[in-house]
Amino acid sequence: MLKVTNLTKRLPNGKVLLNGITFTVEKGEFVGILGASGAGKSLTMRCIVGLTTVTDGEVIFTGEGGKTYRTTTIQGKELRRARRNIGVIFQGFHLVKRLTVLENVMIGRLGRINPLRSWLYGFTDREAADAMEALGRVGMSDFAARATGSLSGGEMQRVAIARAIFQKPLCYLADEPIASLDPKNSRAIMRLLQPLASEQPIIGAFHQPEMTAQFCTRVIAIRNGTVIYDGDPHLSPAQLAQIYSQDGGSELEEGFEEASRPLVPALATR
Amino acid sequence: MNLSDFSLDRYRKHARAAGLLLAAILVAAWRTEVNLGDLAKASSKAASLIGLFFPPDWESFPKMIGPAFVTVLIAAVATPIGTLCALALGLASARNISPPWLRLTMRSLIALERGVPEIVLVLILVAAFGIGPFTGVVALTIASIGMLGKLVGDAIEEIDTATVESVACVGATRGQLIRYAVLPQVMPSLLTNSMFRFEVNIRASVLLGAIGSGGIGYELMQSMNQLEYHKTTVAVVVSLLLVFLAERLSDAIRSRVLEGARLT
Repeated sequence: MLKVTNLTKRLPNGKVLLNGITFTVEKGEFVGILGASGAGKSLTMRCIVGLTTVTDGEVIFTGEGGKTYRTTTIQGKELRRARRNIGVIFQGFHLVKRLTVLENVMIGRLGRINPLRSWLYGFTDREAADAMEALGRVGMSDFAARATGSLSGGEMQRVAIARAIFQKPLCYLADEPIASLDPKNSRAIMRLLQPLASEQPIIGAFHQPEMTAQFCTRVIAIRNGTVIYDGDPHLSPAQLAQIYSQDGGSELEEGFEEASRPLVPALATR
Repeated sequence: MNLSDFSLDRYRKHARAAGLLLAAILVAAWRTEVNLGDLAKASSKAASLIGLFFPPDWESFPKMIGPAFVTVLIAAVATPIGTLCALALGLASARNISPPWLRLTMRSLIALERGVPEIVLVLILVAAFGIGPFTGVVALTIASIGMLGKLVGDAIEEIDTATVESVACVGATRGQLIRYAVLPQVMPSLLTNSMFRFEVNIRASVLLGAIGSGGIGYELMQSMNQLEYHKTTVAVVVSLLLVFLAERLSDAIRSRVLEGARLT
C-alpha cells in the first residue's frame, strides 16, 4: 500500500533531519507516529506527499488499479494522480477561509474533475450531495453554508476530515490532527478517524501516547530522524521516556523549520 | 554615558535636522517665487471674480447630464477592464507564483504604467486615437493597471501558502490552485482596491475631459474659454456631485465586502 524505504533528508549545511526512515503500511492499519518536536514526523509526511524533496530513499504508493507511484521523484501530472488518492489532514487545518464549508469539502475532489469545468462552472449537484454526505459523517451538515473562517478549531478539523473523506482516497495522512485541539475535541476527532482506518489505512503523527494507545493499531516512534520503535501501540513508561529523550532537539527543530519553509514557488507541484 | 547625556544628544540632533529642513524650505520658496504680497493681492482679485460665477445658469443643467454620463462611463469601463488586467499581471508578478524572470518583467511593466501620469498618457494617446472618450478609457485603464497591478501582486505574495499547499495535496492543477486557493484569499483586497480606483478614475475622468476625452470636464473647459462662467458653476457642481456619489457607492460596496472578510 505505502512503502517508505530509507527516507533521508539532509540540509545543504550537513544537518541530517531524516536518517533512513523505513516502514510499510498495509490496508486496515491505523498507524500513529510518535516523537518529540523536530524528530521528523511531519517531515516524513511531507516527503510522502511530495511537498518536500528527499536526499535519498523513496516512497512507493499503490494507487488506483494497483498502479504504483514513486511519490519522492514524480512530478506534474503523475504527482497529482498520486496525490488525489492520498487524503491529507493538517494540524493547522489549512482550509480556504473565505469559501463556505461545503466548497471546502468539494475542493477535495479537484484532482478528479476536469480543470476547465472546475474553473468555469464549479461543482455539480451530485458532487454537492456527496459532499453533504461527507459532512454528515463528521456531524457538520448544519454548517455547510457557513463561511469557513467563522468556525472553531475543532469544527475546522472536522471539515478538513470531511474533505479528506469526500476525496475518496486510498490512504489518509494526518499530520498532528489533534495537536491544536482541547482534550474533548481531540477524542472526538480520534473517534472519527478510527472507523475510517478500517476502510483505508491512516498514518497519523501524534503527541499523545495515550491517544495512540487507545485508537491506533500500531505505533512507529521516530527519534532524531530514525525509527526506534515499530509495533504494539501500548508503550511502557521507559519506552516513552526513550522516545522523548531526543538530543539536540532545539537545533533539529530549527533545521526542520528551514526544511519545511513554504516552497518557492509555492504553487509548484513539488 | 548616563541617561541625561543621551537625551540631550538626541535633542541636539533633532534641532540640527529641523534647522536644515527649514533652510531647505526657505531656499525652495525663494526659487519658486513665493510672495505673500502677491497672495494677498490675488485673493482680493479672486473674491471679485467669484461674483462672475453667480448666479449659476441652471438652464444649462439638462445639457450637462449627457456629458456627465460620458465621464462616469469612461471610469465605469476603464475600472473593470483595468482590474482584470491587473489581476492577470498581478498573478504574473507575484513571487510565489511566477518564475523570477517573468516576475521582474511584469513588476517593471506595472511600475512603468504607474510612473506615467494620466495627463501625459492622454496627451500621447490623443495623437494615436484622436480626441474622444475612448482615449480616456485607454488612459485610465493603463493607469488603473499601474496601481492595482502592484496592489494585487503584493496581496498575492502575502497569501497563506499552507492553504495553497493543502489544496495542492488533493491533486489540484496550477489553474485550480489559483481559482480555489489564491483568488478567494485576494478577492477582498482586489474588490476594495478596485472600488477605490473607481473613485480615483471618476476624478481623473473629469480632469481628462478637459484635455481631450470629452464629458463634463470638456464642458467645464469650454464654458471657461467662452467666458460663460455661470455655466462653469453648474459644471463644477455636477462634477462634485459625481465624485461624491462615486465615493458613497464605493464606500457602501467596500463596507459590505469587508464585513464578509471580517469573518476570517
